[in-house]
This record gives sequence, C-alpha cells and structure tokens, in this order.
Amino acid sequence: MLNNITLGQYYPLKSVVHALDPRVKILLLIAYIAGVFIVPDLTGFVLVVLYLALACKLSKLPFRLLIKGLKPLRFILIFTCILNLFFTGGETPLLNLGFATLTREGLINAVRYSLRLIFLVLGSSLLTLTTAPVTLTDGLERLLSPLKVLHFPAHEMAMMMTIALRFIPTLLEEADKIMKAQSARGADFESGRLFERAKAMVPLLVPLFVSAFRRAGDLAMAMEARCYHGGEGRTRLHILKVEKRDWIAILITAVFIALVILEPHFVPWHL
Amino acid sequence: MQLTFDHVTHTYQPGSPFQATAIRDISLTIGSGEFTALIGHTGSGKSTLAQHMNALLSPTEGRVLLDGRDINEKGVSKRDVRQRIGLVFQYAETQLFEETVAKDVAFGPKNLGLSPEETDTRVREALERVGLSYADIAERSPFELSGGQMRRVAIAGVIAMRPEMLVLDEPAAGLDPLGRQEIMALVQGFHRAGTTVVMISHSMDDVAETARRIIVMDQGKLTMDGTPEAIFADAERLVELDLDVPQTCRMSLELRRTWPDFPMCVRADEAYEALLTRLKGGKAHA
Repeated sequence: MLNNITLGQYYPLKSVVHALDPRVKILLLIAYIAGVFIVPDLTGFVLVVLYLALACKLSKLPFRLLIKGLKPLRFILIFTCILNLFFTGGETPLLNLGFATLTREGLINAVRYSLRLIFLVLGSSLLTLTTAPVTLTDGLERLLSPLKVLHFPAHEMAMMMTIALRFIPTLLEEADKIMKAQSARGADFESGRLFERAKAMVPLLVPLFVSAFRRAGDLAMAMEARCYHGGEGRTRLHILKVEKRDWIAILITAVFIALVILEPHFVPWHL
Repeated sequence: MQLTFDHVTHTYQPGSPFQATAIRDISLTIGSGEFTALIGHTGSGKSTLAQHMNALLSPTEGRVLLDGRDINEKGVSKRDVRQRIGLVFQYAETQLFEETVAKDVAFGPKNLGLSPEETDTRVREALERVGLSYADIAERSPFELSGGQMRRVAIAGVIAMRPEMLVLDEPAAGLDPLGRQEIMALVQGFHRAGTTVVMISHSMDDVAETARRIIVMDQGKLTMDGTPEAIFADAERLVELDLDVPQTCRMSLELRRTWPDFPMCVRADEAYEALLTRLKGGKAHA
C-alpha cells in the first residue's frame, strides 16, 4: 500500500556527476546557488540554463525527473509572481487595473524571482538525485568537521542523519505490514472524514512507535557492543578523495561564476 | 467454502526500476476443512500468495475466486472477504495497539459493526479458544504480557471475527519450544473445530505433524502439491529447493538401511508404531 513512495530522491545511475566527490558536489551547489542569486539581469539566466543543461546531460538523468521536483513549488511560484507583478512599484506603467498598477519593473522582477526559485530547486534536486543519502551525509560531515574546534558535533549530527535515513525504508515496510494486519481485521484506512481517518491511524501509529523504540534500543545496544564511542579517533571505510573529474567540475563552475559576474560588461542590453 | 487461484501473477512496483515478480501463474484450489501447509525457501513468494487470499494484495494478472466469485471485483466487500478468511501475520504481536487485551481483541468485531454485547461474547470466546483466561487477562495491557501470550492475543484478534478459513504466516516463529508446541496445538484445535487452515511454516516437523496437504513454492512458482507422504518421499527434490525433510522422515530413511522395506513415516506416532512392530519382529504395515 505504501510501495509507491520513492525514498529520498536518489536515482542510481553510472555517470560522472554521480561519481563526483560529495563534498565537491555540495560546495559546487552552494557556488551555483550564489551564481543564480548574483545574476544581474534576465539575459544572465542563459548562462544558468547552459550550466544546468550541461550538468543534467552529464548526469544522464531523464529531464522529466528534474521537472517533477518543481511540482510542490507551484503555489509558491504563483504567489511570488503575483506579489512581484503588482507590488514592485516603478515608473513605467504598462497596465492600470485600478486597484494596482502593472509596471515594467514589476514584470521583470516577477520573472527574475520565479526563475531564481526554479533554478534553485532544479540545482538542489540534481544534487539529491545523483547522490545517495548516506554519501551526502558523509560529505556533509567532512565539510562541517572544521567546526569541531568550536565544539560543533559534526560527526554525531551526520551519524544521526545517516541512521534516520537508514531506517526510513524499514519503518515504511513495518508500517505497510501493520496496515495490512489491521486491514485483515477489518480496519479501513481509506475512507471516512478527516476526523475518522485520523482516528483510524491509531491502530497503525501505536504499534509503529512501539517497534521504532524497540529498534532504537536494539541499535544502541549493538553499537555499544561494537565499542562505538562517537567520532573521536574513528577511521573511515570509504575515504573521500578529490580526483581529476572533481577539479574539472570546479573549473567549469568557476568559469560559470566568472561569466555571470562579467556578463553586464559584454552584453550591451540590460533587462 | 472454496478458494480458487486462477493463473495468479503478482508484480511489485511494476514499471519502476524496482519491479519484482513475487508469484507467477499460480493456480490452486483450497476446499473446506483442509489443513494445508505452504512451504518454500525465503523469498519464494509464500507471504505474497497468502496476502492474495483475503484481498490484501490484488493480482497483477489472473483472478482469486471465493466460492466462484472474484474477490477483487467491484461490488465485492473486502471486509466480508476478510471476515470469512482470517489472516494472521508473521510476528502478529506487533499489531497490538489497545490499552487492554479485551479492547484489542474487540477491534475486528467492532470493525464488522457488531453490537457491544455480541462483540463482548466474541472476545470472551476468542480468548478462551486461544487458551487464555478472560478473567485474568482481559483488563491487562497487551504490552505487559509474555511473547507467547501476546502472540495468542493477536491470534484471538483474528479468531474473534469467526473466519471460516484461517491463514497463518509462521504462527510459531520466534517462540520457545513450549510456546511453539502450544501454538501448534491451538492451530490443530481450530482445524478440528471445522476451520479450514492454511499455514506457512519453515519447520518441517510442525508441517509433518499437522498438515494433510503440502504446497511447495520455489521462486514464485508452485512446484509441488500433495500429501505429506508423497512430498516428503521425494527428499532429494526438497533438498534441491533448499528445504529439509522432517526428522521422522530422516529417521525412516536411516532405518531403511537395516530394513529396506521400512515405511516412510511422516508423523511421530506412525514412526513409533512402525518401529515397535519391527522390534517385536512382526511384519510392518503402517
């Protein structure tokens, strides 16, 4: 019943983008986002499109998967558009509706902010689609580890995230099983009003919590039995290494950022 | 009551990269009063098959018929099907959720829309049938019981719906030897009382003692179907399928080295009789 939920977003493929070091990928995403936000005018978005198209092509991901990530964003997009269209102000009115005026500045702003949002989400989806969740937390841990000097628990944070991610499929499977077991006793999870549906969840949630707590206890015991004591002095199985392809990716991104910054100087018109 | 599988195939997540066919082209009929054991290696599709029996899963291809009617057809009440065919999941105690045992057992009857009086009668009856004392246990929390007791409360939760057929997925898994014996005795009791039983099991000894028919699954296909005597006689085939034969059969095979015409005994009492006859020097006819 729950088997049509895809976990995380990871789409396993063999590609250069998938193989990049997760630390590099995270940093490149940050650089890319910075790029999207400093794009000075609408023409600059051509560069963003080109950069993203290249990354998407190299990742071998079907394009529709990326687009699917935009679906939850549609209301925010509409909202942003409307706000910017009518409340920007500006001096060149295009249309007067009486209660609000549509200006050239408003139109440009609406397009700019919508594009920013769209490219922000597309770029982030590309990261989560091409990186396994555990690899991602691993990269995050390494990036945050300099903060350990300030007593930031980088390892513990990453371990918690990894465990949480690891148990999502297990809990879903468990939920599916309990749901079926209760359905076998005549429970109905699919119809009824909101309140009835919420009530119908009790026979599912109680056993799920009981088993989650039991699992957590078991896992803690198993980790302790293997002498887990936090991140200090811990060696790793998969050592992350920055390779040639990572340097190439960094170079391409640097060129992208430079072009974005310099764009107003070699394009004569401004939008 | 008659349950028929007509060329049933089930594929999980069809069309996705995780597509997997769990059972293929299964056709079989289970009649009233049978005691059928479903055996097979882990991942052979036993549980998937069991979940088709009360419409928890619907076939990707083929039909499941209860008394000649497709149970996945529109207009057939799933609740009715699930009342008539009770399914006890593996580690059934994980489904307990109410504050008291009585309330938990009442969950099924309540979902059927029975009156509070009728529900109460059913709860008392179900608890007694699984060998628990209503007076002692009804008002306790199911979470403070022992593992074996919890399992029995969970089984009572299904029995309380008075199903005509009971499907049990490894009812004795994870219990101690005594708990195991008690559960097997219960299942046999249900069968004697007229309930049709289908039991999934990994224990060949349990199967040998109880079942009158054995269905063997391998890689989603139905590979053998027959009486315990016929199935266990083909010990080599079972070993090929990563399955085992019960100890009684292994002993019979060993004894054939001394007495080449020693019968293949499936149940312990048969083996006892046959051996006794031999030792007394008489001719065996078990």
